[in-house]
Amino acid sequence: MFKDRMLTVDHRFRPYVYLVPSLMIFFVFVLSPIIFSLTLSYYNFTGYDANVFKEYVGWKNYKTLFADRYFWISLRNTVYFVGASISIQVAVALFLAIIIFIGRFRFSVMIRTIIFFPGVLAPVSVSLAWRRMLEQDGVVNQILGINFSWLSSVHLAIWCVIFVSIWQWVGYNLVIFYAGLQSIDIEMLEAADVDGANWLTKITRIIIPSLAPTIILNVILNLIGSFRVFDVVYVLTRGGPIHNSEVLTTIMYYYSFAANGPNKMGVGSSVAVIMFGVVILFGIARILTLRRRNV
Amino acid sequence: MRKRSGTRDQGYGVSLKRNPLFFIFTRVIIIVTIIVILFPILYIFSLSLRTKETVYQDTLFLVPKAVTHKNYIDAWNYAKERLNVTFLQMFRNSIICTVSAISLSILFASLGSFSFSQYRFKGKELAFTTIIASYVVPAQVLLIPLFFVMKRLGLLNNYLAVIFPYIGFSMPIATLILRSFFEQIPQEIKEAAIIDGARDFQVFVRIILPLSAPALASCIILLFLETWNEFIYALVFLQNPKIQTIPVAIAKIAGGKYIVPIGTYGAAIMITVIPVLIVFMLFQKWFIAGMTMGAVKG
Repeated sequence: MFKDRMLTVDHRFRPYVYLVPSLMIFFVFVLSPIIFSLTLSYYNFTGYDANVFKEYVGWKNYKTLFADRYFWISLRNTVYFVGASISIQVAVALFLAIIIFIGRFRFSVMIRTIIFFPGVLAPVSVSLAWRRMLEQDGVVNQILGINFSWLSSVHLAIWCVIFVSIWQWVGYNLVIFYAGLQSIDIEMLEAADVDGANWLTKITRIIIPSLAPTIILNVILNLIGSFRVFDVVYVLTRGGPIHNSEVLTTIMYYYSFAANGPNKMGVGSSVAVIMFGVVILFGIARILTLRRRNV
Repeated sequence: MRKRSGTRDQGYGVSLKRNPLFFIFTRVIIIVTIIVILFPILYIFSLSLRTKETVYQDTLFLVPKAVTHKNYIDAWNYAKERLNVTFLQMFRNSIICTVSAISLSILFASLGSFSFSQYRFKGKELAFTTIIASYVVPAQVLLIPLFFVMKRLGLLNNYLAVIFPYIGFSMPIATLILRSFFEQIPQEIKEAAIIDGARDFQVFVRIILPLSAPALASCIILLFLETWNEFIYALVFLQNPKIQTIPVAIAKIAGGKYIVPIGTYGAAIMITVIPVLIVFMLFQKWFIAGMTMGAVKG
């Protein structure tokens, strides 16, 4: 009798009913805009147009974009940003996590909480603070005893932005690493002690290898996070000086919405399509690497 | 002796007696790190308390000679006069957007997760994978199409213009966390309730939701941080200053038309930081659990 009502039994409609709200939101506000955006990049339009599909221009938006040297700079900067956050930031977080783990700190929880704290602040507030500190009369120059305009440097501006981002998010990676460290088998380390292993060997031979999944996790998280970064760049430099610290998201904003921009949303859409393409490529790469490991 | 849980997680590690150099090395590293992390926050706080005369004097020494709260009043007035939005309005706007987005998002995600965790049905894994996969798509990719969707719906300059996308972007991660948590709840508990005559929806409301309180709390914190700090959608969809959220309104103090005195600038930042700091201190364990849960499940 009540076997029919057992939850695990196939029902015809009920499971779909529960999914209606989430799937509706998902189709209207996520999936259909993705499809919409793929077509938009072939049209010429501005934010004021009611009908965006009035002027088909083919590949012209992409040609405009590829002819813009600042697009290539923004692409390069995104590569720098992603590269730094999956290498430097992960390495620093791993180093600090190991130091805290083996250092037997009395206030270990408090130390981790403090280093984690910037991660809960709005990137806008953090960037505003650092913007003040990196000014020519700011405290960074005061500490270093130099007079340098960090955020208006063509070469260094993007690295300042990257630094601020690392400052904000290193604690996040650290906390994840620490959770991974706590699941390491202590007996293995004690056995290594009996064999007379020193700390360097224990770290490189036991701790880091057993953290491999956590390292991959942090790399993926930072990959996703740093690829979409916008607010830090926007607040710290507005992409300046003269677009030299632009990343893909900010150059898309510049082309589409910025008050001082060209208001060419078609070109902005082509940036969005390129970003989407990169995500798909990474997704495929991820699936392929997972498959290989399973084999 | 009372066990001080958490202050020392492991009995393993370097000791002062056996490796004195290494022991000191770890202390130096951590102290330097903590200074690097805390200095900017304390520095801006210190600036915000300084008078016009002391704002350039010994700023490296964080404790100002003379303390004033005038900068906070100036920042308050600056926002009202120059940014055309008071801090109260900013907070109201942020609260409206965040609370409605995360409550609807968690409601929808938990209903969906209930379906995913309890039923077998056609297209289940496809639907789940599609929702989860959308998590890696940067929100900016959807900015232009959604701009026209919102324009067509007449929602630009309306809270709903950001609330709907926020629900869409935060639901995948909430679904991921909640589904795996719902699946961990022993099947016997649910079946016992059904034998007692509960209908599935009652099982969901009376059994699963109460048992999932920790997962729901983590979700709330994770989604809270994402929506509270969200920038680009609020920047583009909420052009009217009166309805702008905190990050968008406050970002205008940098590089705006008017020069902001340093003390006022610092105070404006601190007004946005202090509430988060208080909430963080009250719920710090939940914050770390919430943020790492999202990560580990992903």
